[in-house]
Amino acid sequence: MNTFLHLIILVVFPPLLLGIIGKTKAFFAGKIGPPLLQTYYDLFKLMQKASVYSLTSNWIFKAAPMVCLSAIFAAGILMPIASFKAPVQFAGDLVFFVYLFALARFVTILAALDTGSSFEGMGASREATFGCLSEIAMFLDLTILALLAQKLSLSGIFLGGLASSWFLVGPVLILVVVSLFLLLLVENSRIPIDDPDTHLELTMIHEVMVLDHSGVDLAYIVYGKALKLFILGTLLISVIFTFRFHDHLMDTGFFIIEIMGLAVLIGIIESTMARLRMNKVPYLLLSAFIFSIIGFIVILLRGHS
Amino acid sequence: MIFLLISLFILAMASVLILLFSRSRKTSSFLFLWSLIAASLLGLCCALSILCQKTATLPVFEQYLRLPGHFPLGEFYISIDALSAFFLLLLFILSLAAGIYGIGYLRDYEGKRNVGVHLALFHWLTIVMVLVLVAKNAVLFLAAWELMTIISYFLVTFYNDNEGVRKAGFIYLVAAHAGFFCLAIMFMVMGAHASSMNFDQMSFVQFSPGLAALLFILAFLGFGVKAGFIPFHIWLPRAHPAAPSYISAILSGVLIKVGIYGLMRVITIIKDFPLWCGIMLLMMAVLSGVGGVLYALSQHEIKKLLAYSTIDNVGIITLGLGTGMIGHAYHQDTVAFIGYAAALLHTFNHAIFKGLLFLSAGSLIHSTHTGEMERMGGLFKLLPWTGHLFLIGSLSICGLPLFNGFISEWLVFRALLEGVFHLDLFGIIFSSLGIVALGLIGGLAAFCFAKAFGIIFLGKYRSGEEHHFVEANLFMRVPMAMLAAICIFGGIFPIYTVLYAFRGAQVITGMQLPEGISSAILIPLLMITKVLMIGVIIFAFLAILRKFLTSHFKGHSRESGSSCRTLAGARDPIQTETWICAYQHVTSRMQYSASSFSKPVLKIFRSILFFKVDTTIPKGYFPGKTKLNSSVKDVSQDLFFRPLFYAIKKLSRILKWIQSGHTQVYVLYILFLLVILLIWKLH
Repeated sequence: MNTFLHLIILVVFPPLLLGIIGKTKAFFAGKIGPPLLQTYYDLFKLMQKASVYSLTSNWIFKAAPMVCLSAIFAAGILMPIASFKAPVQFAGDLVFFVYLFALARFVTILAALDTGSSFEGMGASREATFGCLSEIAMFLDLTILALLAQKLSLSGIFLGGLASSWFLVGPVLILVVVSLFLLLLVENSRIPIDDPDTHLELTMIHEVMVLDHSGVDLAYIVYGKALKLFILGTLLISVIFTFRFHDHLMDTGFFIIEIMGLAVLIGIIESTMARLRMNKVPYLLLSAFIFSIIGFIVILLRGHS
Repeated sequence: MIFLLISLFILAMASVLILLFSRSRKTSSFLFLWSLIAASLLGLCCALSILCQKTATLPVFEQYLRLPGHFPLGEFYISIDALSAFFLLLLFILSLAAGIYGIGYLRDYEGKRNVGVHLALFHWLTIVMVLVLVAKNAVLFLAAWELMTIISYFLVTFYNDNEGVRKAGFIYLVAAHAGFFCLAIMFMVMGAHASSMNFDQMSFVQFSPGLAALLFILAFLGFGVKAGFIPFHIWLPRAHPAAPSYISAILSGVLIKVGIYGLMRVITIIKDFPLWCGIMLLMMAVLSGVGGVLYALSQHEIKKLLAYSTIDNVGIITLGLGTGMIGHAYHQDTVAFIGYAAALLHTFNHAIFKGLLFLSAGSLIHSTHTGEMERMGGLFKLLPWTGHLFLIGSLSICGLPLFNGFISEWLVFRALLEGVFHLDLFGIIFSSLGIVALGLIGGLAAFCFAKAFGIIFLGKYRSGEEHHFVEANLFMRVPMAMLAAICIFGGIFPIYTVLYAFRGAQVITGMQLPEGISSAILIPLLMITKVLMIGVIIFAFLAILRKFLTSHFKGHSRESGSSCRTLAGARDPIQTETWICAYQHVTSRMQYSASSFSKPVLKIFRSILFFKVDTTIPKGYFPGKTKLNSSVKDVSQDLFFRPLFYAIKKLSRILKWIQSGHTQVYVLYILFLLVILLIWKLH
């Protein structure tokens, strides 16, 4: 039953986040904006549309959105949501979690190169570069969390393992949270790294890679994007709010409020910040990495003094 | 054991027969093929029979053969323990695959080159590599090691009319002998302490920490040259591209792994090393791993790229090995055990997928007659077999889930995380350094192979009109498909290879399986399979949904006459040219190239790679030709070894007068030496 509820939240909820972000941005722009459920309508519409395929592309182009979405979904299965344990958990699943995202990224890059367009090649190259850098910060953050919780599985870490850490090593967790938040922005290609609304030359990272996808394929990609935002958002939320009521209804309610709050925060950042110049992005990623290194050093000093 | 001996006997006899019949292509190929298959199957039976033994208790049952009578210095003493058997397994798989592939590959050279000798030498290479792996006597080991170098030299220099190939072969020979020198000293010191050259007697000796460290450094230098650790790797990116592809597969898949085997064997003999040895190995692993993958990224020649990526994978293997040694120094058996097992597993997996990649790169070059990535593109449609197999190899080498590379990288991560949990401050720092390095290696490897696969096989053909290439023949396809199947099987059902790796790790640590290993490793592996299966089911669901949404509602559409509406109401999928923002005159040369793809990463690491871009800026309203040249410097080759050898050359020119060339003078030197020795002894 719990597994079922976990899956329901995982499947149904993600597109709403994109709607909330859109609404927030519209508010800042002084507009009414699209309805909250716009992403669902978009998905439904895209499902009905026909696709256009390049003569250059192969089956990889068609398979990539599906592989990408299933890899992200499989990562979601490892992630505990609210007080629901992940359906599958084991020691070392945090490595698997990161590698599933790597798989999703790899196939997307291949699909982009499959079109033979230099725009998509450029996007693929940049995505791969930033992917390398964000992966190391991600690994270090997860190592810190594992070390604090003394557990090697995501469910172990987030359901109980971190409970008292805020009192003991609060500063470390703040650093981890900052680092994870930067990663969240990078991985989901949000401002200030990338602009999810356009694929103009200057913001050519993620959006340009999926330029040639249309119809059902695009629906899968949009849904995958929302799911990725949801899963990484859940990761961040679970680090910030470690307290649990041990009551599914209360926990889920609070969880939904929290993650909606996160979406609003992302919306505010997108409305108030400008995008960084492309050559500054690696510095942002390195700062995420450095935050986690500092956090790590603090733990070592605390634990062994 | 008897299987292995029969297998060696078949190979030896077959090689003689091949030489006798080398005039007739058919007979020699026939002999080669069937002797190879028979010998490999026997060898595999032998290795598997050892690895599958139900030996929960120690000592692990060994089969051995000792010939009566002594050679000068040593005796013929061979035995197969699980460690040897593990390496035999990958040796036989790979030499079977590469050998069959070789028959297909060499068809074109019939009559042009002496193929018979080449095939016979291939058999002999297998024989001496087996001997290296099973030798339990240092002298026998060294003799086999030396023969292995020399035979592989002849195989590498198959295209011996090419100046570059001869030079590459020579560098290989020099590097290998420099390593041999260190090994000889190491075994002599060990032999002197044990007063026997047999490994089992050496392992009874308790070496002092200082001596153990010295021996370790010698082993590291000697085996490290073969394994291709980063400062000593310079022979590797030259020899691999120079050799025919199936020889490169053997070089990268097995020969380099024999270096790793040597290190592991020394660890089983000496056992207790000071902590800093493990840490040094870990640091070298990080250097080789990150350096190797960065150099791989900067290459645009497919086989050079693969050669550098071999260095990075050796780095990953050594990360496991280093973790094992550190764990052992801290007396944390679980850490040590998982570390060694991870190293062994990655050794096996790398042999398989790198073999596959080299073979498919070979058939790529065979078809297109070039290895330059910038000239290729769009070959996925033209060479479908090669393309799909290369894709499987790339996915495995990037360590992506569903393929075997992921399992071993996960195991290395697991060992390092175990290290983070169970070691003290110092150990935690180095383990987490390993985690970060492995994360970086994984990301960069994915970048590197996205580039290799994407630029070569996707997009459009870059040099002019597309023409039809001849796809690899059946002899070349079958072994590649075999390796690809192992890659996928090992990724989805990893339990077998992991258990074999455990057997090997048991030999290295000399201990039983640590408690809780099954809940720490084996159950998670089952869980991984479970998640992968769920992923596959989701994929199938999405594919069916997609099919449903895009399929024609046949009955309805025909009757109503509206020809192409799908079930969901959409039109047929449209096939058209890629949209390039309405630009009209697109040529295939305008695609993103390999160098432009890898530029962002190289720019980030420009200071360590000496990455430089030279370009002339076009001027005027009708600019003429311009060019762009980007280059990366291999630090150890260009800034260390080249000056070093230059200095040696200069020095030896000064000492030239000693070498007069007259025999009499040399006799005089001997006389002098004898007199000096005599005086020293009398004194």
